[in-house]
Amino acid sequence: MKKRLLSIALALLAIPFALRATVDDALSFAYEAATPYVEQGFTFREDAWGGDLGVGEQKAVAAQLFKGNDYWFCLGTDADNATLSVHIYDSKGKLVESKNWQKGRFAGALVSPKQTGTYYAIVEVKQSPQERTHWALVYGYR
Amino acid sequence: MSLPGNLLAREPDDKLNASLMRITFFGIAIALASASVASAESAPARIDLSQFPAAAIEDVVVPVPSEIFNVLDKLGSPNWKGELRESLGRQSGNRAQVALLLGTVIAEGFIAVEAEDSGKVKDIGREVLELSKAIGVEKAVVARSKAIVDKAEAKNWPAVRTELDGALQDVRGAMIELNDEDLAQLVSLGGWIRGTEVLTSIVRKDYKPQRAELLHQPELLNYFNRQLENMSPRLRNSQLVSQIQKVLNEISPLIIEGEGRKISPESVERINDMTNEVVVSITSADA
Repeated sequence: MKKRLLSIALALLAIPFALRATVDDALSFAYEAATPYVEQGFTFREDAWGGDLGVGEQKAVAAQLFKGNDYWFCLGTDADNATLSVHIYDSKGKLVESKNWQKGRFAGALVSPKQTGTYYAIVEVKQSPQERTHWALVYGYR
Repeated sequence: MSLPGNLLAREPDDKLNASLMRITFFGIAIALASASVASAESAPARIDLSQFPAAAIEDVVVPVPSEIFNVLDKLGSPNWKGELRESLGRQSGNRAQVALLLGTVIAEGFIAVEAEDSGKVKDIGREVLELSKAIGVEKAVVARSKAIVDKAEAKNWPAVRTELDGALQDVRGAMIELNDEDLAQLVSLGGWIRGTEVLTSIVRKDYKPQRAELLHQPELLNYFNRQLENMSPRLRNSQLVSQIQKVLNEISPLIIEGEGRKISPESVERINDMTNEVVVSITSADA
């Protein structure tokens, strides 16, 4: 399950309900992390990314960002006591986020692109009691 | 959506206003108080993206037109009404054409929102339903279509924008559910082509390098090309899809920026002409 959530919707139909619920829950938590920024006028896309990772594993999520917008990337997991992080890099691998926070199952990063182009959100499971930890990432723009 | 205030932390924000103090968001206030315990854990200042195996990199998500229009609005006041197409186009019965057309119509919805043209948005809401019906995914967008019309009636533009974004995702999701991932990609592609046509139209009328920079979308072009390459031969070889692939290949070198290179007015005009031709082909029932 390493495709975008939209794409994995079908695959989810084929797996046990309990496992499916964890991905859905991860997305719910990602949207929870995004809620304060919605209040600040950020529009969050209904499209999202998600999957599962082992501890220490990373996923790079490509995004086309536009100079002039601000973007919040918000990450969530359904796994209790898990710790995740998200950081934003430009196409040359330079860290470009202007704000970042992480607390338990939630994490967020703000970027105001200096140039229009491709950026990468690096998602990582820092610690988790589970072998595979489900995660979901959403982004909003303003 | 309720917030687990003891779990969620965020960075301090001076703009916190009274609305955040509502009971619904009481949890946020608690989280704010504990913001200092949220770790902004250190990340390497540089990473080598080439070390990421392909399987560890997710494909780029196609931006919605609003993401680009937002920036254009900040750079000036484009004449959005003047960018609206009079006709939304006609369907030919060819599913690929209908999928592409659906993408252009949804993109038109974003333009109509910028133009604050509620009549046009309502037409678009109804047309989205019609086109969805033609390719068997109308159930997925009935509620969205109604919401688009209702919210346009109320002139609630941010909400219309959200519904259009949702309609795009719902249509694509329904197509994927029907094992029509290729058609889902064509919906996205149709939206991108119409969005790019409008973007270049606006930029060519009042060229500024920072406006033209919005066209710098190399990975997105690569992504679309990969999707087209992987489509079934029947679709890939259709006249319309072949035309689009040719145009994407011609656009790719024109949108390169960096190391002192800017997207030129000539490139903007060329891209506008090419995307306009494609939109004309998509919206024609002869496709």
